[in-house]
Amino acid sequence: MSGLTKSIQTATHRVDILRGIDFEIEQGEFVAIMGPSGSGKSTLLGLLAGLDNPTSGQIVLDGEDITGLNEDQMALLRGRKIGFVFQSYHLLPTLTAEENVLLPYELTGGNGSKGRERARELLESVGLLDRRDHYPVQLSGGEQQRVALARAFMVRPPILLADEPTGNLDSQNGQHVLELLIALNQREGTTLILVTHDPVLSARAGRRIVMRDGLIVQEE
Amino acid sequence: MRFSWSTALKIAWREARSSAFKFLFVVLAVAVGIGSLTGVRGFSRAFHQMLSDQARTLMAADLSVRVFDVPTPEQGSVLDDLARHDVERTWITETLTMASSGDSRPMLVSIKAVDPNKYPFYGEIRLDPPAPLRTALTADTIAVSDDILLRLNLKTGDTLSLGGKPFRIVGRVAYEPDRMLGSLNVGPRVMMTREGLDRTGLMLPGSRAAEHFLFRLDPGSPTIEQVRDRLRQAFPEALIADYRESHPIITQSLNRATMFLSLVSLITLIVGAIGVATAIHAHIQQRLDSIAIMKCLGARSAQLIRIYVIQTVALGLTGGLIGVAFGFVVQKAFPQFLKRYFELLPSARLDLLTAAQGIGIAVLATLLFTLPPLLGIRRIRPNLILRREMGETKPNWRRRLIEERASIAAGAFIVLGFAGIAMSFTAGTRADMWKTGEYFTLALGGGLASLSAIAWLMLRGLRALGRRSLPTSLRHGIANLYRPGNHAQSVLVALGIGVMFTLTVYLVQRGVITQMHRTAPPGMPNVFLLDIAPKDRDAVLSLVNQQRGIEGGTDLIGTVAARLLAVDDREIAKMPLKGWVRRFRSPRSVTSAGAMTNYVEVVRGAFWGSAQRPAMPEVCVSDEAAKVLDIDLGSMTRWSINGKEFSARVACIHRIDSVHLISRVEFIFSDGALDGFPVVYYASLRAQPSTVSAFQEALYRSFPTVTVVNLADVLQTFQSVVDQIATVIRFISMFAIVAGAIILSSSVAGTRFRRMREVVILKTLGATRARVSRIFSVEFLILGAVAGLMGALLANGFANLLLERMLDAQVSFPILPSLFAVIATALIANVAGWAASFRILGQKPLEILREE
Repeated sequence: MSGLTKSIQTATHRVDILRGIDFEIEQGEFVAIMGPSGSGKSTLLGLLAGLDNPTSGQIVLDGEDITGLNEDQMALLRGRKIGFVFQSYHLLPTLTAEENVLLPYELTGGNGSKGRERARELLESVGLLDRRDHYPVQLSGGEQQRVALARAFMVRPPILLADEPTGNLDSQNGQHVLELLIALNQREGTTLILVTHDPVLSARAGRRIVMRDGLIVQEE
Repeated sequence: MRFSWSTALKIAWREARSSAFKFLFVVLAVAVGIGSLTGVRGFSRAFHQMLSDQARTLMAADLSVRVFDVPTPEQGSVLDDLARHDVERTWITETLTMASSGDSRPMLVSIKAVDPNKYPFYGEIRLDPPAPLRTALTADTIAVSDDILLRLNLKTGDTLSLGGKPFRIVGRVAYEPDRMLGSLNVGPRVMMTREGLDRTGLMLPGSRAAEHFLFRLDPGSPTIEQVRDRLRQAFPEALIADYRESHPIITQSLNRATMFLSLVSLITLIVGAIGVATAIHAHIQQRLDSIAIMKCLGARSAQLIRIYVIQTVALGLTGGLIGVAFGFVVQKAFPQFLKRYFELLPSARLDLLTAAQGIGIAVLATLLFTLPPLLGIRRIRPNLILRREMGETKPNWRRRLIEERASIAAGAFIVLGFAGIAMSFTAGTRADMWKTGEYFTLALGGGLASLSAIAWLMLRGLRALGRRSLPTSLRHGIANLYRPGNHAQSVLVALGIGVMFTLTVYLVQRGVITQMHRTAPPGMPNVFLLDIAPKDRDAVLSLVNQQRGIEGGTDLIGTVAARLLAVDDREIAKMPLKGWVRRFRSPRSVTSAGAMTNYVEVVRGAFWGSAQRPAMPEVCVSDEAAKVLDIDLGSMTRWSINGKEFSARVACIHRIDSVHLISRVEFIFSDGALDGFPVVYYASLRAQPSTVSAFQEALYRSFPTVTVVNLADVLQTFQSVVDQIATVIRFISMFAIVAGAIILSSSVAGTRFRRMREVVILKTLGATRARVSRIFSVEFLILGAVAGLMGALLANGFANLLLERMLDAQVSFPILPSLFAVIATALIANVAGWAASFRILGQKPLEILREE
């Protein structure tokens, strides 16, 4: 990322969410982005995922400048290269656990038994194979986040982004999900970028970036 | 890897699983529209097929010729020559006359005089009690329709008097399949032999009657085309039909009726499609998060649109299939409306072509209307789930117009698409199709726009009303109209269309009948005397003058049946006359006058003076006839009366007010021009309605061959026909109301979970079930009442516009029908709303609150 800014215009004034972000992340790194609420962490993650366009600056992902890509091109990119884990899980309520995990595979044109095998393998690795036919409303928060984790790894993305993945979980579940995340990450060899304000979580990262008021104030 | 349709289908199915209940209503709304459409068109096709399959039976022959004059000797020789070549023929005469049972008031009946040894060539006439026609009908016996038996309180074996001669009734005509192709196929009917008709003395030279010749081509006869050609040459003015083509008037009427009712059904389908669009829009709004998540996971807009297109197509397909089944039931209803007029009616059957058409239209209609919400998927940003709380400014109207351009184009496409469907229903030329398309586009676009605008205004008004201090239930009920996802405006439009259409039909029907019954212009006659023989003329006039209740004088004219052969050497038989103007090929009733009267306005030329007769016969021609036949002052017209030809010079062009009897006569000859030819007299007079029956009786006693037509009876027959037509149209348009009600249910079902939460919160705060019920009922009743009011306002506007244009009628706003419409729609909406809400009241609060 170089010279990245993001501003939005509300009814009354302009809000500068990111005010000039420059950094690089190498392949395979585990990076934690920290900072207080409103520092722009989630927005930064969203820009990295191509969920939004920066106001100015450049983002190069895996050697590809994604800044000027249109919506469809971004979607293709996300389908191939980026896995995402949300704070609020964001499972589709009308699909079962297995169907939720399968979704990224199907959206990229996958069909047939191979996908189903992979989905079940992932559900087994997060300990929910026997719950694969259950809907999100039938699962606890922790279980839903584990399904979301499995979904994120379905297409073997080279990059995994996680936005406060344990933010809505109690400490025990949070710890469990974190262990799973790190284990899966090591197994699949992805680049992991984690947004959190939890120091325990960030301690597990190889690199920590601290943000405040839309800027990077510390890197360690 | 490509995102295949099968994957999209899989995801679409999973997505739709949880929405089955609300989609059920949408499917029903489409089914209602398709049901009425396939019912109408299926019945029409079945009717056409029946006309074709039963053609010979319906015609009772292979070929028929209908004229309004007895054949000339030359025409007779052609018929005889055909008979020598194995073309069997039989002659039927149909006319009107008075019948009486002696102690009852005489009534107007239609007579069909047949040769029972030959008629019918195909099919059979069934009498009750059963008896073969050839033995039952003699010169002294008749068979009658059941309405004669009922009205005159007669039974088989009793006597009925016709033309003053007694006839014994041998039975009721239980089945007469060729009646629908006859000249007089409604009203009381008497069937008799030709000898019986002669015995009545009703047929005078110049009497009005339809002469119908039926032909059967026996083996060895010329082909039907050859026979047809010969008959066409011999009878240029005749209506000739053969069994291969059915009756042109019947098929034309059937096609027109089918087209009109199909367009009405299309309106119902549009209502259903509005429901689909509303439901899909609501569905997508509820799925915003899911759509955003899928986009986060890599789904492109095109893939997501594909998923929801599949859902839409599935809805349309399911609605179409159910609609086709429902249409079968609608088909079964039609014979009930028509059995008074048609002996033979098709049975309901599933027609594959109509079914395929219906299903195709269902899918097309639902796709067209869901284009705008589907295109809206492109604008859903994946970052929605990251930053919903940050309210960015709404773009200005110019920007929104640019962003909505695809939806606006889709809207135009919808209107054009439906116009195309309407055009496909049009029977006729390409110009007719374009005209239908044009009118339908304007009506649809204008109608929807007006309804939407009025609905928006009314909702704004209600919102302002809701802020005032009103009872709690009323305030909450009004506030519920603005609940996110309620789509009140769409529901109002959908319900309003149905009410508007149904009420318009009723108001036009009522306006037509009222106008007919209203006091006519001063001096307008209401009793007509037909077929007065010259010998009876003075006596009839004298009897009329002696009757009580006769207002003003009696208008009497003598007419002669004359055939116009040529104008300035241009033969009438060779002129390209089409439609109603073909009547100039048949004998016309003409009269003569010595002097001009006040009510004949000469517009060009000069009427001959009464002082002396012109050297050669002159004629004054009506302006309409002059225009059609290209007749000018000085034109030479050539005529034939009873085989004798003569010429008359056109001396003037005239115009006559519609009140006087002479206005029925288009050619007035100079005095003396018609001397020596057989004359029949017609009279018209104005009588107080209460004295008409007594007058009819007195006249019948002395002059049984004179036919008396009471305008009140004619109006009654006319009214019953208008009522029947209006009933059929209202039957079809009621489906639009049903579709609107279903859409209301669908909208309520779509906001089910929100309603559940509200109910739970209200209960938690202490509201009883009765209080909650009142709030919901207020919401549904107001929605229905506003839709009814909207529909009533527009219906009154349209009806008055139509009546003013068609009949020059006075503008009126009858309160009762509109009030009924408002109340009925409110009640329908309440029932529809509760149908979709019945389980909400029973929900336990904790169940819902725990899910939060």
